Amino acid sequence: MTPEAIEKIVAEHAEKQGSIIAILEDIQNRYRYLPEEALRIVARRTGKSLVDVYGVATFYKAFSLKPRGKRLISVCLGTACHVRGGQAIAEEFTQQLGITAGETTPDREITLETVNCLGACALGPTVVVDGHYHPHVSKRQVNEIIAAAREGAGQPDAQDDRRFFPLQAYCPACKKSLLDPDHRLDGHPAIRCDVSFDGREGWLRLSSLYGSRAMASEHEIPMSGRFRLYCPHCRNGMPHYSNCTECGSPMAALFIRPGCAYEVCTLRGCDGHLLNLEQPNMT
Amino acid sequence: MSAIKGNEMNTFQTVAEFKAYRESILAAGRSQRPCLVICGGTGGQASGSNDLIRVIKRQILEQDLHDRLSLRITGCLGFCEMDPFIIVEPGYHLYPKLKMEHVPRIVEAAVKGEVVEELLYREPGSAVVRFSEQEIPFFQGQTRIVLGQNQQVDPIRINDYLKMGGYAALEKALETPDRQWIVDEILRSNLRGRGGAGFPTGRKWELARNMNSVSGRKYVICNADEGDPGAYMDRSMLEGNPHAILEGMIIAALAMRASNGIIYVRTEYPLAIKHVTIAIREAGRLGLLGRNILGRGFDFDIEVFHGAGAFVCGEETALIKSIEGEMGEPRQRPPYPIAKGLFGCPTCINNVETLANIPYIINRGAEAYLKIGTENNAGTKIFSLVGKIKNTGLVEVPLGTPISKVVYEIGGGPSGSAKIKAIQTGGPSGGCIPSSLFDLPIDYDSLAKVGSIMGSGGMIVMDDNTCMVDVAKYFMKFLQDESCGKCFTCRKGTQRLHEILEDITCGKGVPEHLTLLEELAQTVKDTTMCGLGQTAANPVLSTLKYFREEYERHIFDKRCDAYVCKPLTGAPCQAACPVDTEPWRYVAMIEKGDYEEAYRVIRSANPFPAVSARVCDRKCESRCSLGTSGGEAVAIRALKRFVTDRVKPSAYKPVLAKKKRQRVAVVGAGPAGITAAHCLSLRGYGVTVFEAEDRPGGMLTCSLPAYRLPRDVVEKEIKTLLNRRIKMEFGRVLGKDMTVQDLLAGRYDAVFLAFGAHESMRLDLRHEDVRGVFPSIEFLKAFNMRGEELARGHVGVIGGGNSAVDAARVALRQKDVTSVSLFYRRTREEMPAYEEEIDAALEEGVRIETLISPVKIRVRQEEIEAAVREGVELETLVSPVKIHSRKGRLVDIECIRNRLGDVDATGRRKPLPIPGSEFRVRLDTLIVAVGEKPKSEFLASMGLDIDKSGRIRVNAKTLETSLRGVFAGGDLVTGPNTVIDAVAAGKKAAESIDRYLQKKPLAKPATPKLPSVYVEPAQAGESEDKAGARAATPSLAPAERMKNYREVEMALPETAARTESRRCLRCDLAFTEKKSADGSVRSVGEGARHG
Repeated sequence: MTPEAIEKIVAEHAEKQGSIIAILEDIQNRYRYLPEEALRIVARRTGKSLVDVYGVATFYKAFSLKPRGKRLISVCLGTACHVRGGQAIAEEFTQQLGITAGETTPDREITLETVNCLGACALGPTVVVDGHYHPHVSKRQVNEIIAAAREGAGQPDAQDDRRFFPLQAYCPACKKSLLDPDHRLDGHPAIRCDVSFDGREGWLRLSSLYGSRAMASEHEIPMSGRFRLYCPHCRNGMPHYSNCTECGSPMAALFIRPGCAYEVCTLRGCDGHLLNLEQPNMT
Repeated sequence: MSAIKGNEMNTFQTVAEFKAYRESILAAGRSQRPCLVICGGTGGQASGSNDLIRVIKRQILEQDLHDRLSLRITGCLGFCEMDPFIIVEPGYHLYPKLKMEHVPRIVEAAVKGEVVEELLYREPGSAVVRFSEQEIPFFQGQTRIVLGQNQQVDPIRINDYLKMGGYAALEKALETPDRQWIVDEILRSNLRGRGGAGFPTGRKWELARNMNSVSGRKYVICNADEGDPGAYMDRSMLEGNPHAILEGMIIAALAMRASNGIIYVRTEYPLAIKHVTIAIREAGRLGLLGRNILGRGFDFDIEVFHGAGAFVCGEETALIKSIEGEMGEPRQRPPYPIAKGLFGCPTCINNVETLANIPYIINRGAEAYLKIGTENNAGTKIFSLVGKIKNTGLVEVPLGTPISKVVYEIGGGPSGSAKIKAIQTGGPSGGCIPSSLFDLPIDYDSLAKVGSIMGSGGMIVMDDNTCMVDVAKYFMKFLQDESCGKCFTCRKGTQRLHEILEDITCGKGVPEHLTLLEELAQTVKDTTMCGLGQTAANPVLSTLKYFREEYERHIFDKRCDAYVCKPLTGAPCQAACPVDTEPWRYVAMIEKGDYEEAYRVIRSANPFPAVSARVCDRKCESRCSLGTSGGEAVAIRALKRFVTDRVKPSAYKPVLAKKKRQRVAVVGAGPAGITAAHCLSLRGYGVTVFEAEDRPGGMLTCSLPAYRLPRDVVEKEIKTLLNRRIKMEFGRVLGKDMTVQDLLAGRYDAVFLAFGAHESMRLDLRHEDVRGVFPSIEFLKAFNMRGEELARGHVGVIGGGNSAVDAARVALRQKDVTSVSLFYRRTREEMPAYEEEIDAALEEGVRIETLISPVKIRVRQEEIEAAVREGVELETLVSPVKIHSRKGRLVDIECIRNRLGDVDATGRRKPLPIPGSEFRVRLDTLIVAVGEKPKSEFLASMGLDIDKSGRIRVNAKTLETSLRGVFAGGDLVTGPNTVIDAVAAGKKAAESIDRYLQKKPLAKPATPKLPSVYVEPAQAGESEDKAGARAATPSLAPAERMKNYREVEMALPETAARTESRRCLRCDLAFTEKKSADGSVRSVGEGARHG
């Protein structure tokens, strides 16, 4: 954590009245908790008393003043989950992890929390690991969920999983293939484009396997930097028809067939992508 | 480098431009291609819909199906129980619970306009295919004016919304110069706030419209801080159809001249935030938000605010504080937010569902809206129907719909075998409504009248496995956590209420707690400021009102009948056993290989181990934690059989107390009587057992078939229980040979009556007494006691209980029998007989016909003619009394088919005859097995209290009858019941009689039955079998059982038994600790309290 980073977050919200919660949310998103120093800076910069900032930080459940583990396991204890045995599931997690709700494992890997309702009541008992929902959890699945959380969301084997399949991508302008048979990613010819960012230019290769986020780039594109994609044949830029559903950045549209686009987010580090079967602009 | 220009969407400057665009989209119409609709909402994604979507996309691309098939990824479609599912339009074929491998066939069929029949929806347990959504009961019962739109739109595509007529209401509102008209229309529609309290929306808007803002700003806030646990409709609407909410908000703003809109969404709803953010961007791009909207001189913009997780922020003043960047503590009203709200400006706060109703009302008019629902409760309400219900999901019904329709017709009834006992509505502010009130129409006023509230629409179904005290405790814990702490009585009151409930669920409850709870609850209600506090006591008050007996069970008997409260339950297998066996303990002994000790554990609690090992109904297994947590219960009875087959009864040496001078008479030598006699003899009493038959055993010998319970097993076991203090007198009948008074006046100091229920109930049909028709008890007794085979030819059995199935299987073994059919009036699911017995009967060739009632028994014509020749007068074939039916002989029975109707008092659905469905079955033998009752009319004259079913009334805790010194138990008290319950009654009677004769108070203070002996758990390496499958009990092949009475079920081999024993989860270990140095064992039930 650097004071500058916190000050930058505060500055981003400076325009708005009563934006304390949004500021704290951004800090928490960044550091997974609210460091004390950050609260002091927020208080100083917003002109609020530290007591007020602390009050807000402790009033709302989304905020944590203690560092959290790399993974967050939330066990839902809403009424629907409760009557279907959610409490027993929470106890099983407590027992297997050796920590109580609100605590983090000593190796700083996993934080366990119980929440009052996640609004996934039809799926109860529900457990959410870093935004990934596990429906109808039984006691016997608890160790699998913990194991999966420890290993991280295991990337399935892109090569022989039917959910992953190669896309034939073309330039929307010159209709030439963008596949580069000489360079393969995930065992398939990669999609090759020219890329520009921060005034620099180079090549970029994306996996043509739908669902895979494998890529290679001539230059390291800085995280959270925007880039543009161009056709290596006709040098036209890839059009932007829609915005990323994850971050709102423009999406670059590659041509798959009439009415069908493979759209990828132009923000480095954002996972947003869409195989859009109905992109009316893609004629 | 140049860029290809993106096709920017137009920002429309005038209503006319927008109208032209909207109409062009409407005119283009829907594509004629078949369309796969799949839920990409949170529920769908969690159930794996993303994988299905990818596979569909892949197939469309690879097989080039773009022109022949569309794909629509929607938000929640409501039928979440069936997720992930696909609906194929235009036929609305619904394919539930799909896996990736199913997709290719569905895609291929859809392209060809065909269906994949075997994947189509069927009601659970039914074979009837429902071809379309409209044929499915879950959808049939609903009126989906709001929720139905979710199916038509991909929430990230604004054109989908326009295509179904979206933003037409906004267009209409913008075109109308008189904005007061909007308010008037909403007023006329009687729309009430869907957030819970039901304040008329039109009135709120009117107030807001007339409010002047000093700063010129006015706010419209959409309250999507859906914090009520158990409710998720707001989430589903924001995820699935965000534009409807935006449209509602823009219209609201227009009506009340508001400038700023805020959608306050829980941060726990990332997908809702995403979709609503996209929707705001798209609407802005079309010119529907921003400055001078469509040139009508009206500025309005919406932003999304992330609620950071505080239930109290659903309260409007707290919500405002939260947006202002402060702690979300409610403040005193007035001033109401309408006058002085966010940043001091007039603020109108509406719930998501309320706003989603606005476009419908503006489009169709208030008149149309008023036609839905009831007088003071117009329109529909969406409920999240969750908990112990078969069809969980979102349900939209007109207000005024009875609860029973939602629960049983739409919801499909209970999810498991347990009976539904209540619904909970309104979240922590609401209450529990018992099933006896399910006729109640769902509307704001009716729910309030019974102590609950509408709330935002959570409807949590609870069954017999839900503890209502625990539910109250759950809500108090919730509220204690969520109370903002501003009002003392809320802060401390909810905490104290929770502590008291905690005490009750831990076995520390005292009777005074009940009044204290009531007083405290009332105080919290009366002395707090905001809605949270004022309603906080509702869960306690409503459960106290409707489920007081559950509180009393916890306080007085230290029992939680739902097995939820751990400190009262201990190891569930032990708590479930009527005779207090410690199954966990003998299972652990088997694991250790100490079979003799295992036998002693069993025998010390149960005098009939070998009998129970064969015919016990295994209450322990139905409560086994392994079974209730998603696995298969430990095969406890099979393990008991393994032990009792192996270990000689002499391994257990009962302790005989010193002889006492008092004597006890026991009437009936069945399991209850023999158990009582045995236990009393051990306590030192002399006992005489009077038995009407010529041998002991009662139902064990006269009713239970030998292939289930070999005769020598019963005889040997009974022999071990008799001793010199017990005298048996056979052929002695109470009421004929003696009276209770004779016994008490003679040499006996106490009497225990346990002569069972041996009289078969009748169908009450004419000709029921003709030859060929037998009551089941008579039929079974004739064979079991005298070896007579009464059945021949085609045999029919009426009934669905164990004695019906026993009779059917015995009949099948008799030599002159050709076929056996069993007729039952409900479905197999409701048959009370044990599942494995039904399976065995089917294997052996019994035909089971369900949903059938006999309506008529026919007598063979020639027999009647013979009867007539003999001089019997008769008027018509069916006329009553004139035939001496013993002269006739059974020919056939006429039956009528039933369908299942509403749930009756037993929690089962009532069979209703289908007129005109009568049919005849030719039968040579009919066995009537529709229940038994005690032959007890004569007892009333001895001064005993008898109920109308012939059962003796006793004090359930002590088994005392209305006569001093006379006790009763077994089937005589309960009606036909299990062997193990009879044994339990015998034990209890012995205990009570002992206390009576020792002049001690009969009732003992209750204590929970908790594991108290520590047994070392298996080593880690040995416990890997936990996940394994339950051991299958070996049995004789059906071919080997034909026409003989060999025992069908066999014992497990040793290796299988040892493996099975290792599957036990050892729930006992939470309550016991390793022996301390001095060798004593300490129970740590206390420690489990917070564990």
